[in-house]
Amino acid sequence: MPSSLEILVFLPILAALAIGFGAPARFTAIGAAIINLGIGLVAAKSYNVNIEGGAVFQLESSRVLLESPKLALAFGVDGMSLILMLLTVIVTLAAVWASPAESKIKGSPKLYYISSLLIAAGALGAFLSTDLFFLYAFHELALIPTFLMIGMYGHGKNRKRTAWTITIYLGVGSLILLAGLIALFVNIGQNDTFSIAEMIVRAQDSETMIPEATQSWIYLLLLVGFGVLVSLFPFHSWAPDAYADAPTPISMLHAGVLKKFGLYGLIRIAGPMLPAGAEKWMNLVLVLLLGNIIILGLVTIAQKRLDRMIGMSSVMHMGYVFLGVVAGGTIGISGAVLLMFAHGVSIALLFALAGSLRERFGSLEFDKLGGGLGKLVPKLGLLFGFAAFASIGLPGFANFAAEVMIFFGAFQPMEANAPLSFLQWAAIISLWGVVISAVYMLRAFRKIFKGPLTTTETPKDMSWNERVPALLLIVSLMLVGFYPEILLKYLRPALESLTLIGS
Amino acid sequence: MPVYYLEIIVVVLGLVMLMADAFVKLEDKRNIAWFAVLVLSVVFLLLFKVSWPESTEGSPFWKFYDAEKGSRGFSLFFKGIAVLTTIIVLIMSAEFRGVLLKYTAKPEDGAHPQSGLSEFFTLPVFACAGLMWMASANNLASIFVSLEAVTITFYILVAYMRRNVGSLEAGVKYLILGALSTGFLVYGFTWLFGVTGTMDLAGIKEQLALDSVNVTAALFAFALIIVALGFKVGAAPFQNWIPDVYQGAPTPITAFLSVASKAAGFIVLLRISGCFFGSGDLSEKVGAVFVVLAILTLLFGNLAALPQTNFKRLLAYSSIAHAGFLLMALASPITLVADGKEPPLLDTSIGVIAFYLGAYLLMTLLAFLVMTAVRNQQEDDSLEGYAGLAKRSPFLAFSLLVSMASLAGVPLTAGFFGKFFVFKLAIQNGACGWLIAAGVIGAAAGFYYYFKVIASMFWNAPAEGNDGPIPVSMPAKVVMVLLIIAIFAVGIVPNLILGLIK
Amino acid sequence: METELTLNHFLFVSGLLFAIGLAGVLLRRNLIVIFMCLELMLSAANLSLVAFSRFNTTDGVPNYDGQVLLFFIITVAAAEVAVGLAIIVALFRSRETTDVSDVTSMKG
Repeated sequence: MPSSLEILVFLPILAALAIGFGAPARFTAIGAAIINLGIGLVAAKSYNVNIEGGAVFQLESSRVLLESPKLALAFGVDGMSLILMLLTVIVTLAAVWASPAESKIKGSPKLYYISSLLIAAGALGAFLSTDLFFLYAFHELALIPTFLMIGMYGHGKNRKRTAWTITIYLGVGSLILLAGLIALFVNIGQNDTFSIAEMIVRAQDSETMIPEATQSWIYLLLLVGFGVLVSLFPFHSWAPDAYADAPTPISMLHAGVLKKFGLYGLIRIAGPMLPAGAEKWMNLVLVLLLGNIIILGLVTIAQKRLDRMIGMSSVMHMGYVFLGVVAGGTIGISGAVLLMFAHGVSIALLFALAGSLRERFGSLEFDKLGGGLGKLVPKLGLLFGFAAFASIGLPGFANFAAEVMIFFGAFQPMEANAPLSFLQWAAIISLWGVVISAVYMLRAFRKIFKGPLTTTETPKDMSWNERVPALLLIVSLMLVGFYPEILLKYLRPALESLTLIGS
Repeated sequence: MPVYYLEIIVVVLGLVMLMADAFVKLEDKRNIAWFAVLVLSVVFLLLFKVSWPESTEGSPFWKFYDAEKGSRGFSLFFKGIAVLTTIIVLIMSAEFRGVLLKYTAKPEDGAHPQSGLSEFFTLPVFACAGLMWMASANNLASIFVSLEAVTITFYILVAYMRRNVGSLEAGVKYLILGALSTGFLVYGFTWLFGVTGTMDLAGIKEQLALDSVNVTAALFAFALIIVALGFKVGAAPFQNWIPDVYQGAPTPITAFLSVASKAAGFIVLLRISGCFFGSGDLSEKVGAVFVVLAILTLLFGNLAALPQTNFKRLLAYSSIAHAGFLLMALASPITLVADGKEPPLLDTSIGVIAFYLGAYLLMTLLAFLVMTAVRNQQEDDSLEGYAGLAKRSPFLAFSLLVSMASLAGVPLTAGFFGKFFVFKLAIQNGACGWLIAAGVIGAAAGFYYYFKVIASMFWNAPAEGNDGPIPVSMPAKVVMVLLIIAIFAVGIVPNLILGLIK
Repeated sequence: METELTLNHFLFVSGLLFAIGLAGVLLRRNLIVIFMCLELMLSAANLSLVAFSRFNTTDGVPNYDGQVLLFFIITVAAAEVAVGLAIIVALFRSRETTDVSDVTSMKG
């Protein structure tokens, strides 16, 4: 009997297979996504938040595939993976629902939905695996669907080049990551286990701990590998183009969910297994994340196309999550995880709405869109406003709660009357990023939806097929925004155990 | 049943096929191929049932045929690779007959319309017997004879389409370079015999481990042998015959060459280099040679594949690239466990190489099956000829997608585990950083040229003239589906292959 | 002055034969000549095999293993020639040439 987490991972794959063999594409995909959302919520409900420390993963299942070295198809959740799992099922449902109807897809509609489902399955598998090997392997499941989707259904003349860029970038990034993970396996797993829980225990046991020099170079490999996946400055250049040119559901899934894998890996693997390495490279990470927030923030302001701007902004916001990761501690990590959720939902919402705009007006260039569209499509305008506010981080949305926690986290280790450390200076500089994102988001909103109307087209306002996913995302954002405890309670036992922070 | 009966059955099968062609009137000569497929499938199942002698003392036969406990599993595994490849190649050949007959039979001269077909089915069976023997050969003489049995058969098969310029040219090139490598091999064997005074690999290993051994002469012998075997497996800098021969040979034979011949080359390489890894002084130098070969092969195979536009040629370079990964496994020094226990399979070069070859068989044969089906419809082997394959035949496109993904090493496919184990072995044994870097560069380049095929199939519209649907015969379809399932199954449960090596 | 024939003498001649054969394969353009040179290389191996076998004695008996391999080599070489010449003849029929520089239709 498969466990609930196994069903969660394999249901999208089965649905994709069914579509391949002729099941109605949209119906099957949405059905699978709804069932998955249900399973995800039930799993969250059955997660025991009151366990005192020690308990590492819950709802575990494991099928041993190889005895020596021990390799198992093992799933389990702790607070962090649970939150990311919820993010995935929510965004998947929204992305599949926001996909165009079968008749509107030029080319094979089957492939379109199959790709989205496979990307979702890959993300779920990566977040839920408690085995280092499958954590990596599942993430790569998205590689080919992304490549095919951007090349076949993408927007714009450059879509083929974009597809190549993202594939080569991510391919090389994951190879570097793989080298780092194998080094981890050889040094910490001592060649006999891939189990993440066991490896963390060994990494923190003073007898089996690995020397600082080794930690340092492995951490660097992981940082570059995960950094490429999460578009850390200066490895970010694949992201904005890819998100801009990809079909809407792919942008939603990639920017919203899949990209979080890099951060997830850093928090889950690099942090606890290589504490000395993390310490050593902390300043480098701080410099790079400032690059994300400030340099890329300014680049975002200069964008002339809405989709590129959203793509850039999603890259920029990764800097805050990094800040939370570097700050560490209960508050910093909680903030980082919460921001991953909030950012994932809000960016998916922005891409969905941008997709609706593109479908109506054919282009997303600010100049061509003109202004005053709020009068033509008031509901779209309203929702876009919500999404923009959420992305900036206004109170009431999950992003606000998360960013505040991250900034507090950065100041938490500070002693009274001590001079500011580099971490705190970085946090202070990053605060300006909030201003930058307010500038570009509000400017875009004003340019597109306010002012005099210039276009002569008279499109319909949002259909229900567009409204449902948008509302789903907004409700989740506001729910968490007003009541962050709904997610934070899951993090608590994990934070106290070894999985996240270490002893 | 004694294990050597298998080779006997296969040889007898070949003879029966020749007789059948001469004395039985057949409407459709493909029946000969189906018969062979049937018998070989039985042989494949019999691999699980064979028995080994209790003692090999004093029997002259077992001086030529390996019966050592430690290597029995590998012998059987490589025999299995040979048989399975032959089965699939025969099915491919039956599919390929239309193209083949165009360049062999000349009905207007009064020849039988299917003349030459049955020999095309028979020769791979003889090659298979040679390959199976090679998997067990443990004596320089038997290695030489089995290797030549295979090579000479391949000379004929490569040049088989004698009215096709490409095939003939490929045959001539393969002939000259194959014979050249034979010359090196024999001369190397001679010196190895001169240095050690014995033909037995076990004896050679013993002698080479002695302090009294003449290291210079032993290294000279090794150099000659490595040149010869480098030719066979396609290691740079001895690889330059591969692209031309692969491109010119009939497609099923290209598949046969790239899988079975490579596997056989590697088992001989493993066995012979195993002799040299016995002593410290020699093994260090021999290891260094392998590191250099591996780096060159990885870089050459992968980088030269990047600009290729002919699909068959691309696969030729890819086969060089994979030889590079296999050499990388060979170049990572073999771990020796202190307490004398057998090391786990995946910590040894031979275990990793066996797994890699098993995975390589699945994905390469799948690619060639698709290529055969496409070749039936069009002359064009170039990548443009595969444009829009997703529209012409979604099934073939999906098959090729799986095969390319696996060759590129996308996780959850068999090919990924192959590369993964190679890298794991290299990192775990502290292989030199340049080797690992070359491996990473090679794998990254692989993403590009394999994905190029995928892009051509899915992104582009079919080219003018090459846009009709592509029929696939039932047996080929069944084999393809089985291969696809196997690729994913092994990609999740590697034990499916590892369990066979016992 | 009389000198005894030693192993080294045989090895020297065999090495010379091998080198001549190899040089011929690399330098000559005519397929038939190349093929003959290849046979020369095999003969070189044969010579040294016999020599090694003759000079590697136990109790005055030569090590016959080497001479066994020699017969295998001769047989295999014969088979190789049979197949090889057939291919070269087929090439000559279709291309009217035995020059290797004409066998270059594939590039890349």
